[in-house]
Amino acid sequence: MTQPTAPHATSKVSLLKRDPALLPALIAIWISLAVFVLYPLFRLFLTTFVVEGQISFTNLAVVLESWYDRQAFVNSIWLATAVSVAGTFLGYVYAFAVTRIPMPLWLKWFLGAVTTLPLISPPFTSSIALTLSLGPNGILLKLLGIGNFNFYGFWGTWMSETLTYFPVSFLTLAAVLTAIDPNLEDAGLSLGASPGRVFRTVTLPLSVPGIANSFLLLFASSLADFATPLVLGGHSFPVLPTQAYLQITGMYDLRGGAALSFLLLLPAMAVYFLQRFWVGRKNYVTISGKTGSRSGFKSKGKFAEGLVLAVCFSVTAFILYLYSLILLGAIVKVWGVDNTLTMENFRYVFTHGKKAIIDTLTIAAVATPLGGLMAVVIGYIAQRKRFFGNRAMEFFSMLNYALPGTVVGIAYVIAFNERPILLTGTMTILVAAYMFRYHAAGIRAVIASLHQIDPSIEEASSSLGAGAVRTFFRVTVPLMIPAVLMGMRYLFIHSMTAISATIFLVSVRWSLLTTRILECMTELQFAQACAFSVVLILLVFAATAVLMGLTRFATRRISGEGGRN
Amino acid sequence: MSKMRILIASVVLVGLLASGAFASDLNAYTIMPEKYASQVFEAFTAETGVKVNFMRFSSGEALARVVAEKNNPQVDMILGGPADTYEAGIKEGVFEQYKPAEADMIPERFRSPENYWTGVGIIPLVFLTNGKFLKEKGLEAPASWNALLDPAYKNGLQMADARTSGTATERIYALVKIMGEDEAFAYQKKLHGNIQMYTKSGAGGAMPIATGQAASGIFYIVDALEIQQQGHDVVLSYPVEGVSFGIEATGILKGAKNLENAKKFMDWASSKTFAQLLVDRKINYIPTRTDVETTNPALDVSKVKLVEVDVAWKGANRKAFVDRWINEVIK
Repeated sequence: MTQPTAPHATSKVSLLKRDPALLPALIAIWISLAVFVLYPLFRLFLTTFVVEGQISFTNLAVVLESWYDRQAFVNSIWLATAVSVAGTFLGYVYAFAVTRIPMPLWLKWFLGAVTTLPLISPPFTSSIALTLSLGPNGILLKLLGIGNFNFYGFWGTWMSETLTYFPVSFLTLAAVLTAIDPNLEDAGLSLGASPGRVFRTVTLPLSVPGIANSFLLLFASSLADFATPLVLGGHSFPVLPTQAYLQITGMYDLRGGAALSFLLLLPAMAVYFLQRFWVGRKNYVTISGKTGSRSGFKSKGKFAEGLVLAVCFSVTAFILYLYSLILLGAIVKVWGVDNTLTMENFRYVFTHGKKAIIDTLTIAAVATPLGGLMAVVIGYIAQRKRFFGNRAMEFFSMLNYALPGTVVGIAYVIAFNERPILLTGTMTILVAAYMFRYHAAGIRAVIASLHQIDPSIEEASSSLGAGAVRTFFRVTVPLMIPAVLMGMRYLFIHSMTAISATIFLVSVRWSLLTTRILECMTELQFAQACAFSVVLILLVFAATAVLMGLTRFATRRISGEGGRN
Repeated sequence: MSKMRILIASVVLVGLLASGAFASDLNAYTIMPEKYASQVFEAFTAETGVKVNFMRFSSGEALARVVAEKNNPQVDMILGGPADTYEAGIKEGVFEQYKPAEADMIPERFRSPENYWTGVGIIPLVFLTNGKFLKEKGLEAPASWNALLDPAYKNGLQMADARTSGTATERIYALVKIMGEDEAFAYQKKLHGNIQMYTKSGAGGAMPIATGQAASGIFYIVDALEIQQQGHDVVLSYPVEGVSFGIEATGILKGAKNLENAKKFMDWASSKTFAQLLVDRKINYIPTRTDVETTNPALDVSKVKLVEVDVAWKGANRKAFVDRWINEVIK
């Protein structure tokens, strides 16, 4: 019994017969995974391991012999662990506050909105604000009278990555906590358990799949992030993706960079399998179709609530402070020298950056629905259909996400720059890079939400005569919608802000806002970089507000339906 | 009712959207900062009517891209970036030979011997120091390499990382030429004691110095002047022992789809008009053409001791120096 929630063992043939849409769906998914995940990696392997027509491990040996690269390996693991622990903790605290503590709706919206700030701005933007505050001679250090500490290196990178990625954890956990039936907690309370005990024995165990997902997502994000350590890591704290990137762009050594990314694969895979093993064995059904109406959440004890809210508000205040620094940088002439207000920087953005803005929006608008659809289909088949190779399918669909973006970018360039599949310079290559890299969160969310939906609901539909497709669209999809929308929101945000893979894929025809921001940074146009960031943040906010509205609408509908039976 | 049909239809749609043929007059990568490149290309378009699509990258990224795109070049040429990047590219076989019409007006040492690239400007290294820091410590702007070893600069220096930045390797070439190789690395080991941070890009440390987060560092003059012209309180100074300089080059890529227009640009970039444009628009390179006068006193390097470093020598020693830097200086 590895997967108690899977349908009863059925022979493959009859599964296919009962479900005529399954086969074409499987074929389409495998073809797209083969083209956009396996083929580029295969070409990259060839580049790495074939030296003058012979299979050779020379490239890997060089990396393993270097003390600096070995140090990078250790640092990567250490950093990713620290970031995922801290990020998941913060994410849980936020998710708990928003889903369990009674507060006015505007406050919920406000907390959610502020936490997306780090997520929807490229990490190097907040890094600058963080450096100005806590770096050598930083504003906050002076204000609080603290001496300089070792900001560049582990501490700066850890802080910045935790702030950047904990919203991912928040999104994942909020979806899971929302789905836990409050009646279960109420039952515990009315049986006389203390709020703390209910939390420990009911809420926390039920959120384990969410915690595991969050941990995996954060670990993978931190492991693959190159932009933050690039800006804040300094020379004393090398990590693998940065080293791979530096090897490729700095030393012009594509083979060495590819070899380094190989080392990165090991921990990424380890965490992935650990998570499968851990979450895959437990049963977390709480939406069974058999519950009574859902009641509101009861108070969890004044002290605990106060503590949770205190953490939320202080982190929120800190984030707001960092971003007001960026806003300030965008509206003054020269930061710290000439503080007269000006619109000049925004004029620059809307003239020199107009093409990048339009291109970025177009790409994100195409990638998001396609990626959402992929996530639904892959997540559903992986979780519900016990079929040969569905574990492999799930694994490969996550692979681009686990790999450092730089490597995916280079692999795409190598693979798609010549026939048979000529894509460089097109929009397709950018859309594909985003879709196959960032639909991972959607797939995870779909799987996590399916873990909580009892298959008996679907079985009821089938036994009443509905076909598999009809059951899928009329029963399963509506129940998955909050998870899918969360996933799409994540995909959209990343299509707007990610940089590590696509910096290699932008072309003179298709450019991106993030690469323009990084350019402004390296060209010392700090004010313009801030203005670009502000515009990008506003654009993402406007677009995600729509998706968020849909999410809330869908969630409410499901809860409503639960109450009608 | 098939979800597959939707999926297939959308994939086809995306393909159609993306494959629209795109004819263009000239496509370029620029390593020169965007704010300069846009002015250069604008002037070129105004003069020749050739429209330019361009994109800015750091030298390492631009090179990695053109090498990866070797079999199907996405652009026709590269503008800007140090000549040693071009030398590395020649080894990968990505550049096309072309001698611009007026190339002979540019001294031979600023051009590729085989005409793979042509130098359009030169940029010496310079010390950039925070003015307020100097006043507070009662120091003069550093006037020798050894001045940076002063304990006053402890945890105060930001300069580029040799693994990523052409500015940093330029610094090492200069030190090796001035002091001899072993001496140069011994010096850098001592200098390392005062380092706050090695930045990934050549210009990365300039803003922290401008804001007072760091005290001083070593930069190409183009980045140092940019910071000063933004209005920050910074001081530029040169060491008496001398500095080396980078050659800002331009070249055509092998397999360029708009070869004639690329040649037209090379001709124009080697002309007096272009050199005058650099001066008039305050684009902080010293023109390679000798028949144009620089008006900015900061770019008058007649009193600065410039150390000649052969580009081929730079290319040949780059990897060894960077390895030694990793294993001796920062370890």
